[in-house]
Amino acid sequence: MMLADLKPGQSGKILKISVTGALKRRLMDMGVVGGTEVRVKKVAPMGDPIEVRIKSYDLSLRLGEARQIEVEVIN
Amino acid sequence: MKKQKTVVNKKNKTTKNNLTIAVAGNPNAGKSTLINAIAGARLHVGNWPGVTVEKKSAEFEFRNQRVTLVDLPGTYSLSPYTQEEVIARDYLVREKPDVIINVVDATNLERNLYFTLQLLELGIPMVIALNMYDEAGQKGFSIDTDKIASILGCAVVPTVATKKEGVDSLMKTAISFAAAPREHQPGSVSYGEDIEQALTPIAEALKDHPGVLAEHMPLRWLALKVLEHDVRVMSDYGLAADAPFLTWATKHLRAAHGDDLEALLADTRYGLAAGLTHEALKKPETRKKELTERIDAVVLNRLVGIPVFLLAMWLIFKLTFDIAGPFTDWLDGVVAGPLMRWAAAVLAAISAPDWIVSLVTEGIIAGVGAVLVFLPPIFAMMFFITLLEGSGYMARAAFVMDRLMHAIGLHGKSFIPLLLGFGCNVPAIYATRTLENPRDKALTALLIPLMSCGARLPVYVLFSAAFFAAYAGTVLWSLYLLGIVMAVLMGFLFKKTLFRGEAPVFIMELPPYRMPTVKSLMIHTWEKGKHYLIKAGTWILAISVFVWFGLNMPWGVESKKDSYLGKTSQIIAPIFEPLGFGTWEAASSLLTGVVAKEIVISTMGQVYVPQAEEENEEAPSFGEDVKEIGVSFAGAFVDAAKNVFSTFGIATMSAEEDEEASGLKSVLAKTFTPLSAYAFMAFVLLYLPCFIVLVAMWHEFGTWKWAGVTIVYQTVLAWVVAFVIYQGGRLMGF
Repeated sequence: MMLADLKPGQSGKILKISVTGALKRRLMDMGVVGGTEVRVKKVAPMGDPIEVRIKSYDLSLRLGEARQIEVEVIN
Repeated sequence: MKKQKTVVNKKNKTTKNNLTIAVAGNPNAGKSTLINAIAGARLHVGNWPGVTVEKKSAEFEFRNQRVTLVDLPGTYSLSPYTQEEVIARDYLVREKPDVIINVVDATNLERNLYFTLQLLELGIPMVIALNMYDEAGQKGFSIDTDKIASILGCAVVPTVATKKEGVDSLMKTAISFAAAPREHQPGSVSYGEDIEQALTPIAEALKDHPGVLAEHMPLRWLALKVLEHDVRVMSDYGLAADAPFLTWATKHLRAAHGDDLEALLADTRYGLAAGLTHEALKKPETRKKELTERIDAVVLNRLVGIPVFLLAMWLIFKLTFDIAGPFTDWLDGVVAGPLMRWAAAVLAAISAPDWIVSLVTEGIIAGVGAVLVFLPPIFAMMFFITLLEGSGYMARAAFVMDRLMHAIGLHGKSFIPLLLGFGCNVPAIYATRTLENPRDKALTALLIPLMSCGARLPVYVLFSAAFFAAYAGTVLWSLYLLGIVMAVLMGFLFKKTLFRGEAPVFIMELPPYRMPTVKSLMIHTWEKGKHYLIKAGTWILAISVFVWFGLNMPWGVESKKDSYLGKTSQIIAPIFEPLGFGTWEAASSLLTGVVAKEIVISTMGQVYVPQAEEENEEAPSFGEDVKEIGVSFAGAFVDAAKNVFSTFGIATMSAEEDEEASGLKSVLAKTFTPLSAYAFMAFVLLYLPCFIVLVAMWHEFGTWKWAGVTIVYQTVLAWVVAFVIYQGGRLMGF
């Protein structure tokens, strides 16, 4: 499952980031690293981007990026 | 590697009578507030060489010790991919500050410590300013600072920058560390056996590299960068990704952890940061629903999020231009009235020739006026932009608007500068500084002039009243809409041409809401205004004098038609023939419109309507003038306050007609048809912005490149659109 597929309120554990280069580094620097828990908090009024809670802070990213982050749903 | 020499010299200094302190940290960690608390008014704001990223520094004495404080751009990492990160790391490895103050947000330890670990790799003595310590306490956090200090091998000083708490102790510690660097070398945090085993042979191989030797590069940092295949380090040192020593050194590591060593290192650093946070931070079991979450429940709500945003934007727009408006009028009045009269009187007293009087009053003093009138909106804009950023709402605004802006290749944050453009393009250009990415920033600035500013309104008002009396309102709105449509089209076009390639991403922190300090608001606002005055002001003044020459030379010409301006207008007039207004009068008003678009009207007044002799009014005395300046300044305050509380529309967006307009209207009716009048208005909307906007672009970007692109594309666009309107209209029988 991809991060973009999670509904607000759902949490997941990051498995894999399938982008490379600068974008991947940027995501990792912001705490999007394997094994980290992430919870989708909100979807922007126009449907994109989304807000997630990760490493005890709030991060926003576009669905385009969230579609490339594989997660495992946790309850 | 051109900087080698200076760096070596710097290191050879024997006495440390001046200590350099670099301040580094994540965005939103309160770095800026802390810097203001330490250095305050002594801060010097400039740019990092060759880029538009702001550089703040201060030189001062702290307890008999000379200190240079350098603020590094706020970053989340020291990767080689963003301008800010490259600036920060280049400064740290090349200029080698004596000590780093790392500002860490105590309420957000883990991500901040990830950056701290990267700073430690440099081997520079470090003091952590554990900032917002009070906020962490309010959340019930208990942080073991000694534990952090002992694990990382640096000092940790709790601070509350907004209240100046801990600042003194922080500075004392930093200076003692800087003065005795050997005793305060940071500890080397182990990245685990596998990584450390790979690092040793890499460091060994790099040790004798000429570049490394010459620059005293920190070896461990360098080895780590080579390990993660850092694109900049690899190319700087001419290292190939498949260099045999590297393949050999990382063989075991890659076998155990895969080939993506950059990811492995990020994982490792975050793992350590998480472990450290776990050990040093005690959080309460139950978490209260925080203020930020309660505000966001409304501000980011799917239903009311956009209305709230629009309301906020309306307020910002109104406040910026309505507060600034009366002060702009006041400055304009003082310069055009008393100042010019005094100068004229002084010049008359020394019997200066007429042309000198004209040059000084209409060239130089009018130029000063042109510089000054933009100061109030720039101050107001900067104040509100800083407030939006400092409070945390800017990130929300970007979050709400990103979908729409992204569609035309822009960033969510582009919306605010574009919106301000409807008031005045000049502060709007400066507002693009809220965008971090150079591409987003440039693209936004290029589209701002298509937002029809307040100065274009008088032109529309006059022409639509003269030609479209019954539909004047509709015509007016159609022009604003035309500008927006063109911006969307040009956005697409630029995305496919000048800005081809990967669009920047939108990976942005939504920081907790915080109240920015008055002091930091004031400093930012003041600095922006000051810079505009000095840097942009010089250009604006020079161009004003140049324009005066065009308008008035050769001296003593009977008609404006014989001035340089008039002659140029006659030459270029045929270009406008296919657009329906190929007269020299129209051409000269368009030419002077480059000074400020509302001047199109006053020039038309001069060239179309025969000049009446100026009435010789009794000039007020010096005393009366001074009194009037004071009274009108007080009046400006009252008007600003009235504007803020008036709920009807936006005061500066209404243009009043003056008496001379009616004479002009009847003349215009003879030379324009409704169709050519509309084509003319569209041309005024779209052709190159006033030169102040171009100077602001140069000032904000440090290059004339974008101003040049603007001149070319807008002139072409305006011509094409006016052509299509006029010729298309004729075909349709208008």
